Amino acid sequence: MASEQPPEAHDEYLLELVDIEAGYGRAALVLRGLTVRVPPASVVCLVGPNGAGKSTVLKVASGMLTPRSGRILVGGKDVTRRGPQRMLDAGLSHVLQGHSVFKEMSVSENVLLGAYTIKDKAEIAERVDFVKGLFPVVADRWSSLAGALSGGQQKQVEFARSLMVSPRVVLLDEPSMGLDPKAAATVFEQVARMRDAGTAVLLVEQNARRGLETADLGCVLDLGRVHISGPAADLLADSSLGELYLGTRRPDPTAPTTTP
Amino acid sequence: MSGPLLLQSLVLGVLLGGLYALLAAGLTLYFGVMRVVMIAHSAFLILAAYLAWFFTRETGLDPLLSLVFTVPLFFGAGVLMQRLLISRLRPATLTMMSVLLTFSIALVIEGTLGFAFSGTHRRIRLPYSGAHFELFGASIAVVKLIGFGLAGFSLVALYLLLKKTRFGQALRATMQHKDAAQLVGINTDRVAGYGFGLGLATAAIGGTALSLDSTIYPSLHWHWIGPLMAVIVVGGLGSVPGAAIAAMALGLGQSLLQIPLGTTWAQTFFYVALFATLMLRPQGFFGGRLAQRF
Repeated sequence: MASEQPPEAHDEYLLELVDIEAGYGRAALVLRGLTVRVPPASVVCLVGPNGAGKSTVLKVASGMLTPRSGRILVGGKDVTRRGPQRMLDAGLSHVLQGHSVFKEMSVSENVLLGAYTIKDKAEIAERVDFVKGLFPVVADRWSSLAGALSGGQQKQVEFARSLMVSPRVVLLDEPSMGLDPKAAATVFEQVARMRDAGTAVLLVEQNARRGLETADLGCVLDLGRVHISGPAADLLADSSLGELYLGTRRPDPTAPTTTP
Repeated sequence: MSGPLLLQSLVLGVLLGGLYALLAAGLTLYFGVMRVVMIAHSAFLILAAYLAWFFTRETGLDPLLSLVFTVPLFFGAGVLMQRLLISRLRPATLTMMSVLLTFSIALVIEGTLGFAFSGTHRRIRLPYSGAHFELFGASIAVVKLIGFGLAGFSLVALYLLLKKTRFGQALRATMQHKDAAQLVGINTDRVAGYGFGLGLATAAIGGTALSLDSTIYPSLHWHWIGPLMAVIVVGGLGSVPGAAIAAMALGLGQSLLQIPLGTTWAQTFFYVALFATLMLRPQGFFGGRLAQRF
């Protein structure tokens, strides 16, 4: 598999980040000519070591950070240099790392704030039904205080909030971080369900193996560039990658070595 | 302490606590939304009191009517102050620098008042200034009751605004998680500006209430800022209901202590409460759970 190639040959991508250079303040660049493409109805997972620039990719895509150079296209339309409000309008919804529910507000207030930019009441009601169907906990705990929910439940409220605007692509930053294995498994299941419900996902995961198992395509980032990209299953099967980025447990049983 | 005297003190404490509650709500709002310590809040309070006094002297109309002008004026001044000055401060040192910045604004207001109206003590004379009525032996001045009513009305309005409106939702979301608020499409800079304006609007109302019943002079604001800061620390910074409850408790405490201690020493009650809070419960009595909730 070749590096610096588009993940797969698709006629049209929902989101394209092309040749992005970005960084914080006067510090050195974090992203150095990165290109990532997200096709429709797919989960694309970015993996890589700490400091590779995974979260920065999402910040650039959601308009929280303006890239120094490069282009951002949504459905082929150039949206480079837009702020968060306009990126949201373009169809990109970002779920931050860690807990980002509005803790002292109810689940319903949180979810409805996701529709802050929507005026049409009927559309809001329809989206509420949709997210309640996708995330049962949102329906069950509708009137509870969001801060009183468990970490995994809060994540689902954040997912529901981000889906209220019917985004083309959801940007998920380490959704499994800090969750117990069972809650993390639920979160990965939900990510797959989001895709099945028609929303493409750009996923950043520290837990590379679980991330790639959920994803259709994977990109391995290193030093602000895409090092290798391709179908997630191929990346998982690649034993040299396993050693470098996926932890010690190797996917290939025939490979010589380290204890499982 | 005799029964009627105790009742009198309780009544005065409640009336005073209401005014403290309104003023502390403004202070806690600035801190909650922007982490700004607004030393000039009480200077704006005195400015509003002067404007009410000036309005009545020039027109002969009731000082309460000056609210029609001062509330929008202060709101606009708050928005401008946030957008032009506060937002220029570096986020990392915002809280400390806001103390310096707003301290200087307080000095500018005090100086301007002295220049415009001289240092002479001023007082509004109203036909109902001396009016009062009896309640179970306690005497209640009509002006104090009007001030309390004004404070109560404003607090309820503020609560409804924060709890029920789209702007209120956006403001609370910004207080609780600024980045997440931006990501749902809230213009957090604009919200911060309006939040600041709202805080100053409460100072306009509080100052007018104060002018009904007090002798005012340009440096009076120094007497107010200390107790108000104590109130919001005891209440848990950023908690509007916490500030209101603490204001009521401290107002009552001050009023009750005036009998055995006299007015000067009763004022120290605020600082004793402040020190005790910092020693025993530095997050304030309503920080954490109640903080940021309305």
